[in-house]
Amino acid sequence: MMAEIVAKVKRDYIVALAQQDKRADGRALNQARQASVETGLITTANGSARVKLGNTHVLVGVKVEKGEPFPDTPDSGILMVSAELLPMASPTFEPGPPRAESVELARVVDRGIRESECIELDKLSIKSGEEVWTVFIDIDVLDHDGNLIAVAELAAMAALLNTKPPEDKAWTLPKFPIVERPVAVTVAKIDGKLLVDPSLEEEQVMDARLTLTLKEDGSLCAMQKGGIGYFTQEEVAQAYVLAKENARELRKLLG
Amino acid sequence: MMHVQNRQLVVPGELIADGPYRTREGVFREGNFIYSSVVGLTDLHEKEVRVIPLQGKYMPLRDDLVVGVVVDAFSSGWALDLNSPYTGKLFVSSLLGRKVDLNREDISKYLSIGDVVVVRIDDVDEELNVMLGAGGEPGLGRIKEGKIIEISPTKIPRVLGKKGSMLRILEENTGCRLTVGQNGRIVISGKDQNMVNAAVEALFMIEREAHTSGLTDRVRLMLEKTRIGGS
Amino acid sequence: MNKPEKLMVDGKRLDGRAPDELRPLKIVAGVLERADGSAYVEMGNNKVFAAVYGPKEMHPRHDAKSDMAVLRCRYNMAPFSVDDRKRPGQDRRSIEISKVTRDAFEPVLFPELYPRSVVDVFIEILQADAGTRTAGINAASVALADAGIPMKDLVSSVAVGKVEGTLVLDLTKVEDQYGTTDMPVAIIPRKKAITLLQMDGHFTGEEFSRAIDMAFQGCQKIYEVQRQALKDKYEVRREE
Repeated sequence: MMAEIVAKVKRDYIVALAQQDKRADGRALNQARQASVETGLITTANGSARVKLGNTHVLVGVKVEKGEPFPDTPDSGILMVSAELLPMASPTFEPGPPRAESVELARVVDRGIRESECIELDKLSIKSGEEVWTVFIDIDVLDHDGNLIAVAELAAMAALLNTKPPEDKAWTLPKFPIVERPVAVTVAKIDGKLLVDPSLEEEQVMDARLTLTLKEDGSLCAMQKGGIGYFTQEEVAQAYVLAKENARELRKLLG
Repeated sequence: MMHVQNRQLVVPGELIADGPYRTREGVFREGNFIYSSVVGLTDLHEKEVRVIPLQGKYMPLRDDLVVGVVVDAFSSGWALDLNSPYTGKLFVSSLLGRKVDLNREDISKYLSIGDVVVVRIDDVDEELNVMLGAGGEPGLGRIKEGKIIEISPTKIPRVLGKKGSMLRILEENTGCRLTVGQNGRIVISGKDQNMVNAAVEALFMIEREAHTSGLTDRVRLMLEKTRIGGS
Repeated sequence: MNKPEKLMVDGKRLDGRAPDELRPLKIVAGVLERADGSAYVEMGNNKVFAAVYGPKEMHPRHDAKSDMAVLRCRYNMAPFSVDDRKRPGQDRRSIEISKVTRDAFEPVLFPELYPRSVVDVFIEILQADAGTRTAGINAASVALADAGIPMKDLVSSVAVGKVEGTLVLDLTKVEDQYGTTDMPVAIIPRKKAITLLQMDGHFTGEEFSRAIDMAFQGCQKIYEVQRQALKDKYEVRREE
C-alpha cells in the first residue's frame, strides 16, 4: 500500500501559512469548516444521520436489536460501535480486514458516547441476565478530507438523537433514552501552531493531533492523541479552550 | 454522415457519425459507425472526428512537459509520480544532461523523495514505460519554491490558451511565473503572496469554466480587480 | 415480516405499480470528492453509492497484466442497510455479487488502453429493498463514465420476477421474498447484449423469453436516466 507522498513544496507551503496564522483554504486557525447534518435518511435503521464537514462525508446508522447482556452487567443494555473506512473514501483505504485507523475511530467514538453516559444503558434491560437491547452504531466513511473522528462522533450523536425505538412489545420506554450530547473536536499541531478541524492535507503535514470529546457542560469525557509528534502541557490546555468554543458551535447542528 | 453537432456534450455509447472519417481520441469504431467512448465534447471536422474528454487521467506523451514528484530512488536515478497511472523514470544522466560516474558521485545530493521536478517526457513505449529527462533545457529540474496545484489534465489546454494567450494573461496580471505541466500540475512562483493566491484562484476558475466562452476576459478582469484592489 | 395475503390486486402490485413499471429512479453523477468518479442511485427504496478509482498503478505489481488493465469490483452492504443488522464486511453473497458485477462490465471496457494498471469499482448499499445488485450496476456505470474511463456504452440493469403467475419488473423485497422467481439482468443497451444474467426460482421457456423482453424495456428506461445524470453534471459546468 503506497502512502500518499505530500510534496515537500506543498508541506513547506502549509507550514509557512500556519506560521502566519493562515491556512490553505483561507480559514482562521480556530475555525472549523462548514458543516451540514441530515437525519433520518435510512429507513432500514432505527436512526441515521449524514454529516458533511468540508469534503469529509460520513454516514451513521443506528440499529437497536435484542441481545444477551454481558455476564457482569446483567441489567445493562449493550453499546457496540464499529466503523468502516470505505475504500471509496480514499485511495489509501484498501479493502480488507479493519485497519488500525478504523478500529481507533470506532473506539474513540465509543468512548465519547459511553463515558458521557449519553445513552441510559441501564434502562435497556428486557429480562435481567437474559435479554437486553443492544445499540449498534455503524459508521460508514464515504469521503475522506480529514478529521474523521470528530465527524464520525457528530454523525453518531445526530443518528442517536434521531433514533426511534424498535416496534416491539418488549420496548417499554416512551422514547430512545438519550440524556447528553457529547461532541468531539480535533486540534492539529503544525510547527507549534494549533489548528481546529484539520483538512486532509493539513493532517498529512501535522506533527500530532488531539481529539477532545466534551459534554454539554464543557467537561471532558474522552480524549485521544494521534500522530507521531508531541504536545506540551500549554498546548494541551490551549487545545481544550479551542475545543470548548468549537464544540458549542458544532452542538448547535444537533438541533 | 454526422449524427451530432459540433461542441455537443455526448456520453459513452452515443452515436457520433457513420462513414470513412479518421478517428482520434474519445471515440471508437464499430463497422461503419463511430461512437463516443467518454463523456466529452464533440470536435468534428470534414474528414476527422473526435470527442474531447471532460474527465480522465493524464496519459504520458513523448515531448510533453510535466511536473513530477520523486517517489522512489534507485542507484542510477529516481522514479517520479506524474499524476498518471504511470510513473516515470529519471536517470541521473538524463537529469544532468551528462554522463555520470556512479562510482565517484553520490547522486542522492541531486534529488530526494518528495522533491518536485519539472521534466520532459523523452520516450514512452507500448507498455507505457516512461523515460524522463531534463538535461540541457533551462527551467527544467528541481523546483525549490512555489505553490503547486493540481487541476484536471483535460483542462490544461485552456490554461495555456490559443498560442499561449491565457498563460500570458495569467503571468502579466499577477507578476508570477507559471510552469504548466501537461499532467495537470502547475507551479506558481512569485514574490507577492496575494498575487500567487490570485493566480491559484484564476486557475481553479479556468478549471471550472474551461468550456464556456468569454473566459479569457473574465479571468483578466478578475485579476485586474485583485491587483488594483490590493486585497 | 409476515406474508401479505395477496401480492397482486386487480392487476396492480402492492405499491400500486403495473407489472411492467419501474420503481422511482434517481441518479446523480459526481457526488464524492476523493474518488475519480462516483454516482448515487435511488431505485425505489434502495440507496446506493458507487465510486471508481483508476486507472492507476497496480499493486502488487505481480498481479498486474503487462498489456491490459485489471478490473476489480467490491460490492458491500452497510450493516444498517437491512432489517436485521448485518455484520460489517464481505460475506459469501457479497463476494459472489462482486464477481458477477465485474463480469458485467468487462465487455464494455477497453483494457488494452491501460496496460499494467487497475480500475477499482466500489459499490456500497446504504439501504436495501431488493435489486441491490442491479442498483449497484446502474450506479457503477455512471461512476465509470464520470471517472473518464472509456467505455463502449453504459451498462443498465434491472430484475424481473414472477409473482402469483404474473411477470413483474423491478421487484421489491416483499415480491422477491414471497414471489416464485428472481432474475437480475444487465445489458449493454446499444447492442442489446446481456452481460449479467442470474436466476433462481421457476420460469417456463415462454415466460423466460417474455421476461427478457421486459428486462430489455426496463433497462432502456434506466439507460436514459443514467445518460441524463451524466449530461446534467457536465452541462451545468458549461453554462456557468
